Amino acid sequence: MTREAVETIEDSVKSIIVAELRVDRDQLGPTTHLMKDLGADSLDALNIALRLEEQFNIKIPDDAIPRFLTVGDIVHGVNEHLAAAQ
Amino acid sequence: MKRIAVTGIGVIAPTGVGRERVWEALVEGRSGISRIDDFDTSNLKTNIAGVCRDFRPEEMFDEREMSRLDRVSQLAIAATEMATREAGLTNGQLDSYDAGVFLGTGFGGQGSIEEFCGAFFSNGKGRRSAIAIPKSMYNASSSNIAIRFKTRGPNITVTTACSSGANAIGQAFHLIQHGHAERMIAGGVDAPITPVVMDAWKEMRVLSTKNEPPERACKPFSANRDGFVLSEGAGIVVLEDLEMAAARGAHIYAEVIGYGSTADASHITFPDPDGESHAMTRAMKDAGVNPNEIDYINAHGTATKLNDASETEAIKRVFGSRAHEIPCSSIKSMLGHSMGAAGAIEFIATVLAIENQVIPPTTNYEEADPQCDLDYVTEGSRRVSSSTPLRTAISNSFGFGGNNAVLVVRAYVQ
Repeated sequence: MTREAVETIEDSVKSIIVAELRVDRDQLGPTTHLMKDLGADSLDALNIALRLEEQFNIKIPDDAIPRFLTVGDIVHGVNEHLAAAQ
Repeated sequence: MKRIAVTGIGVIAPTGVGRERVWEALVEGRSGISRIDDFDTSNLKTNIAGVCRDFRPEEMFDEREMSRLDRVSQLAIAATEMATREAGLTNGQLDSYDAGVFLGTGFGGQGSIEEFCGAFFSNGKGRRSAIAIPKSMYNASSSNIAIRFKTRGPNITVTTACSSGANAIGQAFHLIQHGHAERMIAGGVDAPITPVVMDAWKEMRVLSTKNEPPERACKPFSANRDGFVLSEGAGIVVLEDLEMAAARGAHIYAEVIGYGSTADASHITFPDPDGESHAMTRAMKDAGVNPNEIDYINAHGTATKLNDASETEAIKRVFGSRAHEIPCSSIKSMLGHSMGAAGAIEFIATVLAIENQVIPPTTNYEEADPQCDLDYVTEGSRRVSSSTPLRTAISNSFGFGGNNAVLVVRAYVQ
């Protein structure tokens, strides 16, 4: 995957988090944790997973959701799912 | 038996936000009914409703909270904030297993249900959400109150259509009487003014179609009445063990002294004066008062043909010839019918009538109906003479389903 493609994914992931959690975009770094840093709860995590599934046309299994909790991990996870789908 | 005091009032109605504003409008006979401008009403026969336009949830909740709370929860929390502040309750008195919530609602998170159903039936175009159920479930309001105010005692939602709020207050009253809690946040809330609900009521042909002018549409007990006007709102009271309330120096508005609840068990929508009269009789028996002691009746008075005739008949069965001497008014003439909130808001109006010794009127009365021949206080609000003070009153609430609830209120005397 090209560098541009990864950046686009990161951009989309951040947009989803900003929209769902009503946080400022500049709060989001690679290690920013949805729950510990942004006050999200499990319902927010589910909604973010739902938005990611819609946006990237992927399926995030239930047991993967606990690994979708930092910005970096989410971008990584989306990349993995996209690669597996190809 | 424990005595139960009303020590806090929070109310949001189409005429305003807060006890003072709402009471002032009732005494002035001012209507809160206006044209619906939040959605297209061109396919409806009724384009008016009682929208709480002065309620500004964005001043109380941030965007994230707003996204989690249906309008019904927003109304409930805001009214609870007013009631608990007024009662002077500190966190220690709310953050307790001895404080609970008993709420009534007819429609719950109806707006959110419609939103999520719309998404589901939109072939993938709509926005699905993990918050759909926690936002729209009927007990969301009472649970959100507990979460916000940390009340850990009984937390129950009752749904009996138009009598939900009255049943909630009655049940909360009994819970305190029987020692299950020291104080309860009790009342009713509903936010049912949606395109789907308006359309469904249209098909039942029970809404007034006298759209012009909106404020004169609802005509309880008048021969030319043609149905109710849908509205929204919240009525919340703090009920408290009277001894404890007095010990902490709380203002006591009045006492709840009785509650009666019956089912018509006859028809799902057609009212039955037998069930209604028994609810009144049972409430008075619960209170230990006899019918001669009732100085005022806050009527259910929806302005449907059937309700007003049936309620009048029920009152006559209970009070006999004295029925004509008891002032009996319907504030739905001004506030419309806020469904599960109505019984609670009308209970509050009854408490305030006693507190202020003023009876709110039935407005919009135009033509005498031989089936409705009581004293409906149609000339405007009535100041009670000091020689015959307003001491004891009942508030009637009769719901679709045949669910009847009556509350008895008495002036507080030490």
